Amino acid sequence: MSSPAVIFGGPSPEHDISILTGLQAARTLAGAGRAPTCLYWSKTNEWHEVDAALEGADFADGVPRRARPLRFVAGAGGGFVGEGGALRKERPLPISAAVVCCHGAPGEDGTLQSALDLAGIAYTGPDAAGAALGMDKLAFGEVCRGAGLPVLAREVVGEGPPSFAGPYIVKPRFGGSSIGIVVAADAAAVTAAARQSVHLRRGAVVEPYRDDAADLEVAVRTYPSLVLSAISKPEKGRGVYSYKEKYVGGEGMLSAPRELNPSLPGKVAEVVRDAATAVASLARLRGVARVDFLLDGDEVWVNEVNTIPGSLSKHLWDVPFIEVLDGMLAEAQARPTTAWTTDGADGTALRSAGSIAGKLG
Amino acid sequence: MTIAAVVAAILATALADRRWLLVAQREHYLPGSAMRFALRWWRLGANRVLAAGAVLGVVLSPLTPAAGFVGALAVALGPFGFPLRPASPGPLVWTPRLRTLAAVTAVAQLVVIGAGVALGGGVPVAGLVALLSPLAVDAALAALRPLEDRRASVFVASARERLEGVAPDVVAITGSYGKTTTKTYAAHLIAGARRVVPSPRSFNNRAGLSRAVHEQLVPGTEVFIAEMGTYGPGEIAELVEWCRPRVAAITAIGPVHLERFGNEDAIVTAKAEIFAGAEVAVLNVDDPRLAALAGQLPVPTVVRCSAVARDADVAALADGDRLVLLRSGEVVADVALPDAVLGNVAVAAAIAFAVGVPSDAVAAALATLPAVPNRRAVTTLSTGALAVDDTFNSNPAGSRAALDTMARHATGQGKRVVVTPGMVELGPVQAGENAAWAACAAAAATHLVVVGATNRRALLEGAGSVEDALRARVIAVASHADAVAWVRANTGPGDVVLYENQLPDHYP
Repeated sequence: MSSPAVIFGGPSPEHDISILTGLQAARTLAGAGRAPTCLYWSKTNEWHEVDAALEGADFADGVPRRARPLRFVAGAGGGFVGEGGALRKERPLPISAAVVCCHGAPGEDGTLQSALDLAGIAYTGPDAAGAALGMDKLAFGEVCRGAGLPVLAREVVGEGPPSFAGPYIVKPRFGGSSIGIVVAADAAAVTAAARQSVHLRRGAVVEPYRDDAADLEVAVRTYPSLVLSAISKPEKGRGVYSYKEKYVGGEGMLSAPRELNPSLPGKVAEVVRDAATAVASLARLRGVARVDFLLDGDEVWVNEVNTIPGSLSKHLWDVPFIEVLDGMLAEAQARPTTAWTTDGADGTALRSAGSIAGKLG
Repeated sequence: MTIAAVVAAILATALADRRWLLVAQREHYLPGSAMRFALRWWRLGANRVLAAGAVLGVVLSPLTPAAGFVGALAVALGPFGFPLRPASPGPLVWTPRLRTLAAVTAVAQLVVIGAGVALGGGVPVAGLVALLSPLAVDAALAALRPLEDRRASVFVASARERLEGVAPDVVAITGSYGKTTTKTYAAHLIAGARRVVPSPRSFNNRAGLSRAVHEQLVPGTEVFIAEMGTYGPGEIAELVEWCRPRVAAITAIGPVHLERFGNEDAIVTAKAEIFAGAEVAVLNVDDPRLAALAGQLPVPTVVRCSAVARDADVAALADGDRLVLLRSGEVVADVALPDAVLGNVAVAAAIAFAVGVPSDAVAAALATLPAVPNRRAVTTLSTGALAVDDTFNSNPAGSRAALDTMARHATGQGKRVVVTPGMVELGPVQAGENAAWAACAAAAATHLVVVGATNRRALLEGAGSVEDALRARVIAVASHADAVAWVRANTGPGDVVLYENQLPDHYP
């Protein structure tokens, strides 16, 4: 009898937050009698089966006590395999589908998704391509711009100054959290930040910084049909909405102060809803995702997409969390992430090719 | 009757073993620790009577098995005050290592009892075994040492392999105190510029560091900061043999773990093992012993750090309410003065420089130096009083600095409360250091809450040496929980409470 799995952790800056998301999902599934298998992915890329009853603090010093080491085998007949003993060969754990609760690369950028595809494990959330797109701020922004959605200017930080006026906000091109985001007054500060910061080393994008802009968020669920959550307006501290403000001292996003269904000027709410709907298909959203917007006066722009949001945006749904999870698990099986085809690879090319040596000569 | 007396003694042994196994686990499985703590507990107040009863029962048991019951009962009940349900820092955890230790202890005890029964002295022998439970635990610890060493060396070998695979720049930090704080500061100063992983909390021995490498060293890490602690000569030498630092630092020397070293020169020598093979040595030369050491090291680059001398290689100086950081005499940062021991800041900055972080990046990060948990961290209690949490500290210099922190947060009318069980592991100077510090505390505070029995006499003596008019009211309580209850009942907004050190509940 196979049961759902919950995957969390991972070698990511958001490793800890992912554990909180994962434990919430695991506890909810366990409470509803689904007996989930909890798969903890360590900071050092090792896998362990752990108990759903654990608390976040049990992971604070590393792998919790009584964790069972697993190997993750990508390939036909693969999956998560225990170490076994001298006499017993372990079989992969029976998993109906996995709830992916990882935030940040490599659990939210297509790496894990690709490995799960290769191992033949169904999973929730974005497929590899959707995850990769969501994690690349430059590509995502360009896709939105191409579809005519409202977006602010966003450019790669290179040798020259940005083509628009400051002040600027510089963000890592890849990365899901607010880590590494800096505000820069002028073009020189942008270049300096990109050169110095370890977080911006793999690529940085620059956007105009609007001190007065507020964040708006809408979560989406994609199965059985697209549902948008209420619009949420997180309360913003001074300056950049930091990692600390967002996460430290609470249960992920749950503890962050926010206003649901805020009063919005003009057609903003409508623009936000239409854009979120468009993003859902453009960015191949699957499971639960969150689309973030920037609001300044009566202008609104699509900012980023979070393809596996903190706590799976539990706080934004008006249905029980188990219903959200069940929907995701049903989708994982009903809408597979792989559509590999070998059409055309029927041997014709091989038979008519002649010798390899001949091709090299 | 005889059989019943033997069974009673065996049951008492099981109960006693559970206590001393807890001590073994809490004291890092060091042989000798069970006996050390057993003597501390049995010597306290009413426990002396109980101990006498236990001894008398065993001695008289050859005459009558009834005396054997008395002995067994005393061992089963005592020592009074020892937690039956240990909670701080946690309950007994039945790890594989503890199970092995418990099994070896129990088998040895049963063999001895069996031999006693066979030779016709079952009752006194079983009674003696019950009484000597801590000795059996210590003997099992010593016997299992080689086995544990072999097991650990397998784990260490794979940690070494992993470390070589990731190949980070390794920084090692040791010192009698300030290690964890300096490590936290250094990681913070480096974090913006390089991918850095510090060993977590106080994971600073062979087991902790190899676990940190296994569980924390993310592929792609550029700088690994390893905190290294030592209980005796040779331990750090063993650590740097596999966790080879390029940059090694000593933060401070003090009388910590003096009971295991004998004297402070031996501590300097043991700490200096960290420099074997290092390219850069970082030392806080405000300590004359470290200044002397700096002149003798065969390390290519020696960086002298100071919190007072401008001409040190790296200096972190207080200038009014500013912190000025100098590198080779040149000012590289001038930020608001943080509540930090500046010697640690200087060492942390020197480490950041040594791993290639530019001065301006260090300067920028210096303005946001983090508070280190449980180390003079300021929070507000539910009563509205301000608390200074220094519960991880057990050294004289840190304890004095904590009194300053309390004074800084005090308001004119409010109470200034110090809650402390005193400092431990200071060997022969423990009583003197606690008395001296208690005198400072009693003068600086309005209330001094003395927790537990471990240092009660020295603390009360020290406080008593303060002039009546200036002395804090002294309250003695049995446990940390009692102290917290006192604070809840007696403090409110405007008051400040310093929690100075907290001992695990296996301490009297």
